[in-house]
Amino acid sequence: MSAIETLGLTKQYGGLASSIALPGHARAPGVRALEELTIEVREGEIFGFLGPNGAGKSTAIRLLLGFLQPTAGRAAVLGFDSVRDSVEIRRRVGYLPGGIAFWDNLSGERLLDELADLSGRAPTRRAVLLDRLELSAATLRRPVREYSRGMRQKMGIIQALQHDPELAILDEPSEGLDPLMQRAFYGILDDLRRDGRTVFFSSHVLSEVERVCDRVAIIRLGRLVALEEVPALLARRKRNVELRLGGLPPELVGVAGVSDVEVGDGWLTCRLEGDVGPFLAAIAGSVIHDLTIEPARLEEAFLEFYEADLDAEPPKAIPA
Amino acid sequence: MNRALLAHTWRANRLRVAVVTVALLVWGTLLPIIFDAFGTQFQDLFDSGAFPPQFAQFGGGDIFSLTGAVALGFVHPIAVGLNLVFAVGFAAAAVAGERQRGTLEVLLSRPLSRRRVYATLALAGALFIAIAIAGLTFGSLLGAAITGRTTELGAGNLPLLWLNGVLLYSAFGAIGLLASVSFDRLSPALSLTLAVVLISYFLDVLGSLWPDAKGLQPLSLFHYVDPKSVLAGFPERADFAVLAVVIALAVGAALAIFPRRDLAAPS
Repeated sequence: MSAIETLGLTKQYGGLASSIALPGHARAPGVRALEELTIEVREGEIFGFLGPNGAGKSTAIRLLLGFLQPTAGRAAVLGFDSVRDSVEIRRRVGYLPGGIAFWDNLSGERLLDELADLSGRAPTRRAVLLDRLELSAATLRRPVREYSRGMRQKMGIIQALQHDPELAILDEPSEGLDPLMQRAFYGILDDLRRDGRTVFFSSHVLSEVERVCDRVAIIRLGRLVALEEVPALLARRKRNVELRLGGLPPELVGVAGVSDVEVGDGWLTCRLEGDVGPFLAAIAGSVIHDLTIEPARLEEAFLEFYEADLDAEPPKAIPA
Repeated sequence: MNRALLAHTWRANRLRVAVVTVALLVWGTLLPIIFDAFGTQFQDLFDSGAFPPQFAQFGGGDIFSLTGAVALGFVHPIAVGLNLVFAVGFAAAAVAGERQRGTLEVLLSRPLSRRRVYATLALAGALFIAIAIAGLTFGSLLGAAITGRTTELGAGNLPLLWLNGVLLYSAFGAIGLLASVSFDRLSPALSLTLAVVLISYFLDVLGSLWPDAKGLQPLSLFHYVDPKSVLAGFPERADFAVLAVVIALAVGAALAIFPRRDLAAPS
């Protein structure tokens, strides 16, 4: 069974397809926030959901949790329909909203207790999470209104995971965490992976996604533009290569995977794609003082999908 | 109804409930004492013709009898204002306020249906109103006891008066909660609910002071609370029914709207 499965999931705000229109729901008419999203998240994997602000990440998450009604298509979470069975879904899921807010007058401990009560499940993971994120008992006794942004984010992560959910849906989870706490958070993700839990998280911190995710989906203007395993995505990227030469440069024109060759006085640069074997064979006879092959970065892959949008194409407006 | 949410709501509001209830109890106690101390002088003042006779029947209450004084205590702006802390303040903020603060996200990410959340908040609101009105009602009894006039009060009818008051403010509360589930921000929900209460109050007071405007009184929910008649042992069943119908309609509308609403990410 898939942890998450969407089929043609579409959400349009405003216009005739809007599910309900009430005063105070100020939305631009006919904006399609998500268009025919079809993805499958496998059980036990850490799945990254990438896109810049406004791409439709939060809309997709809110559709999965039943906060929004789909305009078209359907979604199933842990086998439950997102519209019909949203309560069952939320019973099994831990959710960290982006920019989370709390009842600030409560102490940290009281807040976690009340949220555990509302979840109806014992907070079996709380102690481990508190330890990993270095939240002390003294800190938990203080009112949440005195917490810094980073401490609030830690509380957000703990409330989402303390009841050991089968699936964690995390919206920008490392936002506001310092580098040490980000590392601690990655440790938590490793724990979840080891225990067979599924994590679906949205982010625009590409290095983080590259580091922790098994697979990624990239959405652009509400549409899915890529869905594949991180290593496979990176393997197709062109890597920058630099050679410091002690003699004549090797002949690289026509070598499989090599492009953009530039030669200077004692140096050579090129771009390398795919298998490194033909390139190594081509330089084998040359005198080389130094060789640098920069690893492929998810950022480049991501930016490639967005190159066409750098001049900011607005979301599609649909006639009401 | 969800027990954990009810307990959370109670903990968040218990101090407010205590303060309002004590304030209403004190207010309820004062009216019989004022009547006992100054009732005759007020009667003489009005008999002298210094004030128009309509002024003696403000909102259906007066200060010339114990039941009139208690009735005045129920409809006086001070009592109305205190009761609105829950009927308007709590009700309008219950969902729209949480949504504006961003805490509704955290609440609705728990395994709670929106109907259950609504039912729990509605029950909590009704409970707060019931406790506050009990303070006012008990205060009236206490004031009558202090002045030695318990027998004049018709204490056996006090539970019915309490129920009448609870129904009135629960009706406003149901309207407030309907507004609350319909808006993303607190201010429109609060403004709308307050407008309903103020217009309602204005129409009732206007009708009681100006005979030509009497026809407008049935448009006011305050018209369906008549403490003097209830205490006299002649409650109007239709009044209770009208308030119950208003509550039922508001609850029905909220239960239809809230579960179907799109809750987009807070902006």
